[in-house]
Amino acid sequence: MNFRGTLPTLILQALAHEPSHGYSIAQKIKAQSKGLLDFKEGTLYPALHKLENDGLVESYEEVEKGRTRRYYRITKSGRTALGRDRAEWRELSRAVSMMLEEA
Amino acid sequence: MTSLDRWLELATCHLAKESAAQVGMEIRDHHESERQTAMRRGATAEEADRLALTALGDARTANRQYRRVMLTSAEAGMLRGSRREAQAVCSRPWLKWLLLTAPLAAALAAAVFFYNGAVVAARASLLAGVAAGVFFSLPLLPIYTPSRAKAYRVAKWATLIVLPALAFGRDALTYSWLLASCLWIPLWTEWTRVSIRRKLPEARWPRHLYL
Repeated sequence: MNFRGTLPTLILQALAHEPSHGYSIAQKIKAQSKGLLDFKEGTLYPALHKLENDGLVESYEEVEKGRTRRYYRITKSGRTALGRDRAEWRELSRAVSMMLEEA
Repeated sequence: MTSLDRWLELATCHLAKESAAQVGMEIRDHHESERQTAMRRGATAEEADRLALTALGDARTANRQYRRVMLTSAEAGMLRGSRREAQAVCSRPWLKWLLLTAPLAAALAAAVFFYNGAVVAARASLLAGVAAGVFFSLPLLPIYTPSRAKAYRVAKWATLIVLPALAFGRDALTYSWLLASCLWIPLWTEWTRVSIRRKLPEARWPRHLYL
């Protein structure tokens, strides 16, 4: 399913409850959408770095079973942005549903 | 060279060393996790490797996206150059004060020229003094916030455009090609700095990036 432009919001949502590394974020998005939102995972990291540059997430490194992993956690402004994105999405979704049901 | 190495080589093409190292670390970790998951589901090592690489997608697409959000080698080079320049001036107090005397010397020269009736030379000296004032007073200006930096950049660009126009007077239009070609390098530098500012979180901006 094409969900271009919504990946940053999905990442913020995946990080809303706990910090995660990239692979875990990708798995959460796929699992929570029951596989509908499938994407090329190489594009996840540029989106994560963009969110970090914008101050919506922050990262830190942690050694796990001898492997250095970069974890990401949502910031306060990230939560604000996620709340705004959710509200906008509901509005958009409601408007499109009304249009399609009318047709 | 493994398929993952080839993927990484394409995905990190033209990225700065630090950016490429970060991408390498994350993608290798991601690839390994994906590979282990596939093998737990019963795939052979080769199949798991292929599946993990397919999941990453097109390396060139990833490279285009990485270059939009991470420092490229050209941008990192510019940051290093600016840092060297800033250190060269700030670590030598005598040089800082020498630079500050330049606008005063130019203003004094303008007064002398004007007193002797050389109006054109007086005007050129005065304009050179204003330009030197804007550029050479930098080490003493308290520019630590994005709003002050924006105000300084507006003043800098006004100086770069208005002063040469004033210096050429009525011939400014005739020599506009010369002015435009001289402005090309500062324009390119400014454009690169805008890109660097977008890519680095504000907390990591070196002071010279504000300018």
